[in-house]
Amino acid sequence: MNFYCKCSNLCSLPPSLSSSSGVRIQYERIGSDVTMQCGTLGSDASITWKVNGSDVDTSVLEGPNLILRNVTLSYNGLYSCFEDSSGDLQDQISLRIGSPPREPVVTCRSNTYPKGFYCTWYLPFPTYIPNDFELTALQNTKEIECQRDAVHKNKCHLKFYQMFSSLKYKVTVTAKNALGKSSATITFDEFSIVKPDPPEKVTAKPIPDNPRRLEVAWQTPSSWPEPDTFPLKFFLRYRPLILDKWQHVELSDTNSHTITDACTGKEYIIQVAAKDNDIGTWSDWSVPIHATPWMEELKPPTNENQPPLITTTTSSSSVPPQSPSYQVSATTRNSATTIPRTVSLLLGITIFLFI
Amino acid sequence: FSLFPGISALVTFLLAALLNTLAVPAMNLTDPTAKVSIQKTYDLTKYLEHQLSTLASTYLNYLGPPFNDPDFSPPRVNGTTQIPSATVDFELWRGLNDRLRLVENYRAYSVLLRYLELMTQDLSCPELRRHFNHFCTSLQGLIVSIASVMTSLGYPPPAHPLRVRGVPGVSGGGAWALAGTASSAPSTFLKKMDDFWLLKELQIWLWRSAKDFNRLKKRSLPQTAAVHNHRPHRH
Repeated sequence: MNFYCKCSNLCSLPPSLSSSSGVRIQYERIGSDVTMQCGTLGSDASITWKVNGSDVDTSVLEGPNLILRNVTLSYNGLYSCFEDSSGDLQDQISLRIGSPPREPVVTCRSNTYPKGFYCTWYLPFPTYIPNDFELTALQNTKEIECQRDAVHKNKCHLKFYQMFSSLKYKVTVTAKNALGKSSATITFDEFSIVKPDPPEKVTAKPIPDNPRRLEVAWQTPSSWPEPDTFPLKFFLRYRPLILDKWQHVELSDTNSHTITDACTGKEYIIQVAAKDNDIGTWSDWSVPIHATPWMEELKPPTNENQPPLITTTTSSSSVPPQSPSYQVSATTRNSATTIPRTVSLLLGITIFLFI
Repeated sequence: FSLFPGISALVTFLLAALLNTLAVPAMNLTDPTAKVSIQKTYDLTKYLEHQLSTLASTYLNYLGPPFNDPDFSPPRVNGTTQIPSATVDFELWRGLNDRLRLVENYRAYSVLLRYLELMTQDLSCPELRRHFNHFCTSLQGLIVSIASVMTSLGYPPPAHPLRVRGVPGVSGGGAWALAGTASSAPSTFLKKMDDFWLLKELQIWLWRSAKDFNRLKKRSLPQTAAVHNHRPHRH
C-alpha cells in the first residue's frame, strides 16, 4: 500500500514521507482529463517534467502542472518533476489509468450440504487497477460470517447454522478500487444452491465373454460430508466414441452399473453425475473415461508376437521343403498343440463362469 | 438363610428382564410392514412436494407482487409463529430418535393442514379452492400415512396437537384470530403475508420430511439393528 501526504500550510519543501520507493500512486479514469501536480510547489515555480525518463512536450504544460487530456492506458507510467533552478527531483508520481468497478457477478453453491456453502465472484469488465472485495451475508437480519479462501482470492466460505430454513440467504459482494465501488446482491433458498461435486474414481471395465457389456463403477465425491444421511443419486451417460447420441441411466442407492447394450467392439465414452436425492441440482459431469467391451480373440491366446496360426499351418501343409525336415515337424507340432490349448482355455473360462 | 432373599431378588429381576425382552415386539424397524409404510410415506412427501410447487406458484401469481417475486424475502411477522417451522440444528435433527422424528412430522402436518383448510375456505377463486381442497385431501393422506408408520413400529398414535393446545376448530371468520391479531379482520396484506409463509413452511416441511423418511428407511435396513434404542413407549 502506498501513502502520500500533502503539506497544506507553511510549506517550503515537499514532505518526503512516502513509500520506501518515494513514489506516490495516482489513479485516474480512462478518458478523463488529468492534472499532474508537482509536489507542493507554487504556481510561479519553474519545473520540468519527465515521463519514464523522457522529456515531455511543453504543449501539455500549464504553468507548473502537466495536463493530460482524454487519457488512455498508454498514459501509465512514472512521471517525475524537477525544479529548474536546482535541478532537484521534486516529486515522482506513478500514474495508473483504470476504471471504477462495474457490478460483480456472484455465485453461491453448496457442495458440502448440510455443512456449508461458498460464494465466488468476478468482475465481468476489467478495471486495470487493483480491486478489493468484501462479502456480507445475511439471513433475515442476522449476519453470517464468511472465511476467505486461503488460495482463491475471489472465494469465501460460509456455514449453514441451521437446516431446513425458510428464510432466504442474501449475499452481497462489494467491489472497490481507488476510482469507485459497485456491489451485487443475490438471494436464494438453502436448497436451491445445493450442487455436489462430480463422482470420483469412475472406472469402466469390460466383462470377459460379454461383448455387449461394460461394468461401470464410481465413488461418492469426497467433499460430500454425509452420504449416509444425505444419499446421492447418479446419472450415467455413455455413447460410442463415433456417435453423437448419448444413452442415459438414472440410478439410486448404488455406486455401479452394468451397461448391457454396448455395441460390439466399439470404444465408449462414459460419464457420471451426482445429485442429492431430493434437493438441489445435478453436479457437473465427471471426467470422461473410455472403455471397449470384451471382444472374442481371433487368434489363439499364445504369445502375441508369434506369427499368426494360419501362416504356420499353410507353411506346414504346403509341400514341405526338403532340407529342414526337423523344422517342418516342429511347426506341425506347434499347430497341433495350439488348437487344443484354445479349447482348453475356453473350457476353463466356461467352467469358471458356471461356478 | 441370609442369601435366600438376595437370590430370589436376583431371580425375580432376571425373570422380569427376560419377560420384558420377550414382550418387546421383535419387529421395530426391520418389520417389512414398517418398511413398506415408510417407503409409501416417503413417496407421498415427494408427490405432495411436486403438487405444492405448482399450486403455490399459481396462488402467489394470483396474489400478485411482491409475493410472486422469486427474491421476495420478507421478515417473519409475529402473527405466524404458530406455524411449525421445519428449521432445526443439524446435530439435533440427526440425533432425533425415530419416534420423535415421526411425532414432529405428524404434529407439523396436522397444524399446517388446519391452517391450509382455513386458508382454502377464504379463497374467492373457485378453481383455486378446488385445487387446494384436493391438496388438503392428499395432505390428510400423508398424516394418516405417518400415523400408520408409527403404529407399525409399535409406537402409540400421537395425540391430536390442536386438541392438546386448545386451538379452536374450523370457523370461517375467526380464521386468522389464531394468528393472534386484533379482534377486527386482519388487513388483506397481512393475510396474504400469512398465506405466503404458510405455503413456504409447508414446502420446507415436505423437503425435510423426504430427508426424515429417507433416514428412517436407511435405518430400517437389517444391518443397522436399531432395536437397542427403541422400546415402545408405555403409558
